[in-house]
Amino acid sequence: MSTSDSYIPTPTELVEVIDETPTIKTLVLAPAEPMSFKAGQFIQLTLPGVGEGPFTPSSSPSHPERISITILRTGTVTERLHECRPGQVLGLRGPFGKGYPIDKLAGKEVLVVGGGVGLAPLRALILTLLDDLDPIKRMSIRYGARGMEELLFRREYDQWASHAKVDMQVTIDNPQPGWQGPTGVVTTLLKDLDMTLPECTAFVCGPGIMLQFTTQALEAEGLTAEQIYLSMNRRMSCGMGLCGRCNIGKYYLCKDGPDMNYALIKDAPNVF
Amino acid sequence: MTGQYLSRQKLAEALADEQCLWSAAGEQVEVCEMIAGLSEPRSPLSPKGWLYPSLQSVGQYGDGFTSPPAEAPAPRAIIGLRACELAALKYLDKMLLEGQFQEPVYRSRRKSAVLVSTDCAAAAPTCFCTSVGGLPLADDGYDVNLSPVEGGFVVDVASDRGRAWLAAAGLECIPASADQLAQRDRIRRAVTEAVESQNRSTGLEVAQGQSLVLPDDGDPAWQRYAADCVECGACTNICPTCYCFYLYDQALGPGLFERVRTWDSCILGTYHRMAGTTSNMKPTPRPRLRSRLANRVLHKFTYAPQQCGLLGCVGCGRCIEACLGAIDLRQVVGELQP
Repeated sequence: MSTSDSYIPTPTELVEVIDETPTIKTLVLAPAEPMSFKAGQFIQLTLPGVGEGPFTPSSSPSHPERISITILRTGTVTERLHECRPGQVLGLRGPFGKGYPIDKLAGKEVLVVGGGVGLAPLRALILTLLDDLDPIKRMSIRYGARGMEELLFRREYDQWASHAKVDMQVTIDNPQPGWQGPTGVVTTLLKDLDMTLPECTAFVCGPGIMLQFTTQALEAEGLTAEQIYLSMNRRMSCGMGLCGRCNIGKYYLCKDGPDMNYALIKDAPNVF
Repeated sequence: MTGQYLSRQKLAEALADEQCLWSAAGEQVEVCEMIAGLSEPRSPLSPKGWLYPSLQSVGQYGDGFTSPPAEAPAPRAIIGLRACELAALKYLDKMLLEGQFQEPVYRSRRKSAVLVSTDCAAAAPTCFCTSVGGLPLADDGYDVNLSPVEGGFVVDVASDRGRAWLAAAGLECIPASADQLAQRDRIRRAVTEAVESQNRSTGLEVAQGQSLVLPDDGDPAWQRYAADCVECGACTNICPTCYCFYLYDQALGPGLFERVRTWDSCILGTYHRMAGTTSNMKPTPRPRLRSRLANRVLHKFTYAPQQCGLLGCVGCGRCIEACLGAIDLRQVVGELQP
């Protein structure tokens, strides 16, 4: 990985396209050689001739032979990625970044907070923890989306929450016909947390504004900055800590993140 | 091997047929011009242009194959490097070669280069190496150092590679006389004093490796300087330590693409710009020019020492020369540091 190959994507076949929501699709890739990665590490996905972008796989690292990339249509490259069909060859570089600190979670109550497509990287964390729930005390998942139709991985919620150590609460922004669950943004699910706060570690992923208000809500509940990990969003090009643009203060998200302990960045300006 | 002497004429004769390289951005120059340059202030361009080209193919990809670029440059000497440029290479080595991933083109060119440095015999009006922990004379990081004295150079050789280069070029030195050594020391002191004196009024005084406390990139204090910035990117382009880049692809033919690495600039509004224009997404963490200007200065003076123990500024003053808005980095840091 330390040669010029690091810049050049490896051709990888797209084997399945899953329509998740009206704005989100999952592209399932079959690397010629399984690409082993840790939950929370990201890859650079190339659509040949169009562009490249960083994405954190939403699939379990236990199955490196099939890597799922869940993508919100939000710009030029993602627009074109949404038009891809099975059989097409895409390019893959990586994995990059640190990944979630799963080895630090023994004995912890894990709080997973997702907003919109932010549940995608968190799914890799959730699946990894579900593989072996013994070390952790509990996993509580709180997820919010704009509307019912935008709820990501909806068919999996019951299965996740079927484990005794796991609970899940889901909200949508506004009431909708057919929705019996809570409404309001995801922070409304974080009031009066029924968790043992000193043992809690929170992982948050979503748009910048959601990260900001979720962090405020968690601090208001009594969590310290050290207990909060944020999936930060910055533009990236190389993924390897060289190109310079994803810095928050002295940190480069591509190599020191993309999930950053909030204590490390809370004093930096323009964090959110 | 230290304290040897080499006459100007011998150097000229020996290098007449040499594939040598003047430090100015890889331009090959005539020997006489190269030697004359050794008595002048540092050149307007740094060796970054050759060691780390501004536009570089990093490989091709297409239907089912990849091919890294073939790059095995012949060893060549970069002659006339100044202490500030050696300091810049030390920094680039840290950032580009000592992490988990190495920049391949910089690595191959850097490894192929024989570094022949020279003491500064004169200072440019914008030189301020002594304000950032440097001196206008090379004390390490070179293979061979040439100190200009009357009629020639006092030669110091610091590596086997330097010794081999001298031998291959047929450069035979003789022991320098006590007068020549004394003259070298006099010139060194005079140029150091000249650089110190032209910067005394700036108030800038940073020790090597010291991480400065400056206002953060959200602070309006930066506006005073950003008001003069026209966002041209000349400062990052000309800077011997700026290495930020961007990767893009271009089509070479049906199903065949080339990936290109191009220098980028943190000053430009597009640098941080992300996809997504919906109302709840901020397209860039630094939409204001003053924040980007601040981020550049903070990287040099605050983050770089924290990242690798070295200042990201070597005091060459090129950004001051190049700035269309006449922003003087010495003044910016001098005024904003506590």
